[in-house]
Amino acid sequence: MKISNNQMFRNFRKGFFGIVSAMLFAGSFNANAQGEALFKAKCATCHQPHKDGTGPKLFQVRAKWEAGGAKEGSIYQWVNNWQTAVANDPYAKEVSATKPSAMSAFPDLKKEEIDAILTWVDEQPDPATMVAAAPGAEGSKADGGTVEEDSNSWVWVLLGIIFITIIMAVGGVRRQLKQVTAEESGETVKEGLTYTDELRTWAWKNRKWVMLMCLASFISLLVTGIISLSTIGVVENYQPSQPIAFPHAIHTGVNGIDCKYCHNSVTKSKSAGIPSVNVCMNCHKQINGRTPAQQEQIAKIYDAAGWDAVGMKYTGKTKEIVWNKVHALPDHVYFNHAQHVVVGQVDCKQCHGDMTKMTATAKVQPVSELNKIEGNIVLKKPTLTMGWCIECHAEKEISKGPIDTKGDGYYNEIHKRLLKHGKSLYGKYLDDGKVTVKELGGWECAKCHY
Amino acid sequence: MKIKFKAIASLAIVAASTLILGSCSSSADSSGFEYMPDMYRSPAIEPYVDYGEIRGRENNALKMKISALVPPSYTIPYYGTDSATVRLMLPYNRKANEMFRLTHGVYDAELSVSDEYLLAAGDVNPLKLTAENTEEMFKKGKALYTSNCAHCHGEKGDGNGPMVASGAFAGVPNYSNLTITEGQMFYSIYYGKGAMGNHSSFLNKKEIWTLVHFVKKFQNPSYPAVSSAPVKDSVATAAPAIKPL
Repeated sequence: MKISNNQMFRNFRKGFFGIVSAMLFAGSFNANAQGEALFKAKCATCHQPHKDGTGPKLFQVRAKWEAGGAKEGSIYQWVNNWQTAVANDPYAKEVSATKPSAMSAFPDLKKEEIDAILTWVDEQPDPATMVAAAPGAEGSKADGGTVEEDSNSWVWVLLGIIFITIIMAVGGVRRQLKQVTAEESGETVKEGLTYTDELRTWAWKNRKWVMLMCLASFISLLVTGIISLSTIGVVENYQPSQPIAFPHAIHTGVNGIDCKYCHNSVTKSKSAGIPSVNVCMNCHKQINGRTPAQQEQIAKIYDAAGWDAVGMKYTGKTKEIVWNKVHALPDHVYFNHAQHVVVGQVDCKQCHGDMTKMTATAKVQPVSELNKIEGNIVLKKPTLTMGWCIECHAEKEISKGPIDTKGDGYYNEIHKRLLKHGKSLYGKYLDDGKVTVKELGGWECAKCHY
Repeated sequence: MKIKFKAIASLAIVAASTLILGSCSSSADSSGFEYMPDMYRSPAIEPYVDYGEIRGRENNALKMKISALVPPSYTIPYYGTDSATVRLMLPYNRKANEMFRLTHGVYDAELSVSDEYLLAAGDVNPLKLTAENTEEMFKKGKALYTSNCAHCHGEKGDGNGPMVASGAFAGVPNYSNLTITEGQMFYSIYYGKGAMGNHSSFLNKKEIWTLVHFVKKFQNPSYPAVSSAPVKDSVATAAPAIKPL
């Protein structure tokens, strides 16, 4: 095929443009990738595109500097070493006063590299506009629950009063109607017959039914009484309202924070510990909530910590957050978290349930819920009662578990002695081939009561 | 017919009164009835107990005011009589920069005007790695790391923990990009750095130094083998640095 000169030139031109545009495209792509990589390596620990953190947000920061009247190129000087920029440019000096912390110097970043970073930042969509319709108002849901419960009992009382009034009113009307009909038919009217008298006659007339009803109500009262007696001292489902509607599900479920990070005294102390506000602030300094309901709750932490979320600094004006204790044991019981978690290696979920699914504030999980969890020892008695404790002490096997005979701890020593004497002295314990907490003294009264 | 109505009415009354009685104690905010309430409240000081009411006596000044108490300033925990442990556990000799009052809420500690983060670069880990304790040290370090660091810094130390993956938190560095010394690692964990908060309230010095060993392994997989010898030497020279108190 013969191609004319003109056509050849056109083809060449087409190809040339193709190559050039491809190169341009690749170039811009490279700049993007480079910008992203550099941002993540150098800037991301302090800066975010759309949110103020340790450093201010960087979205369209070049335009902002230009609008603020910064000298040409002083933003690049700032990145290389902010002190040079402050010395040369009054706007940079203004910027340096907005944050208490000083930015690190990056002398080896070239102008093109800084441009690549800032171009990449400008291309990032704002996540705030993307999650505007995000679901979740767990906080308000928890509040709604308690309010509903309160109004519920009021409704019952009100209904009862209305019911009784109606019965009385209807009774009165009926009595008067009866008198009128009796008068009309010429019968003798017993004047002065009180309501009680009439009730008594009626009851005598229908004594079979009345006796049956009395028996029924007596039995039902007895049954209710016995059931309510068995709930004395049982705190299952106790879920006191808390100053902050704290959802465990988000913290340990979605965000995978270990229980021991916030309840950090659990391995060292008798008490597992409610985290102090500074522990909350380790994350919440940056996380202020996505929905208004969340923001309202998190603002309470800021109040307590003395964190000024607008000025991004601590003010020193702290407040107390008064949490309500959920798992309270009587004063005459000694319970030690560290002993159970460190020595006994009991998992938190054995007693506290699966907190990764708990969207409301913490509660005393009923034993039926605890038994559903995989890996838990199945128990029968209600949570936090003595029966529940000793049931577990009788079940928990330690011979293959944490308190083996190898260590040199207190319980290792007891375990060793138990095995040393063997069948002669402890035969009845060793018959089933396993050693439980009970057999190391877990059922001794004075272990927990002294 | 009339009798039937009466029967239904009285049944309804019984049902209603049982429900009303029952609702008295079914509120989630009530912990229910107790056998002997005076045996539940401790007159001795216990954590997280409201001292607004003790054995029937009310004290409105304390009621719902205090949740937990902070130890008084300048008190230090008792760590026994072993001099090596006591020296290790003495309060940290580096002070936080003045700015930490504003940026990290370090309210109680003494602060310094100079930047002691730079001085901390020379600090060396007082926990020496020996042939016997290395395995134990990394085991402990891993346990501490999993519960205290991994949710942000990631299981592999790449700065991509579940907190970052869920989009809640941003700006966690990859350890392999960090060029800070072990002394500065300690300083950063103790007082915080950038977006990271202060961890001194719940990790003691021994735990932080254990973590430093573990984190260094992320930067250099052959860490203890390569640097065990120099660490030993520098500890001897660095010992006076921990002494001043």
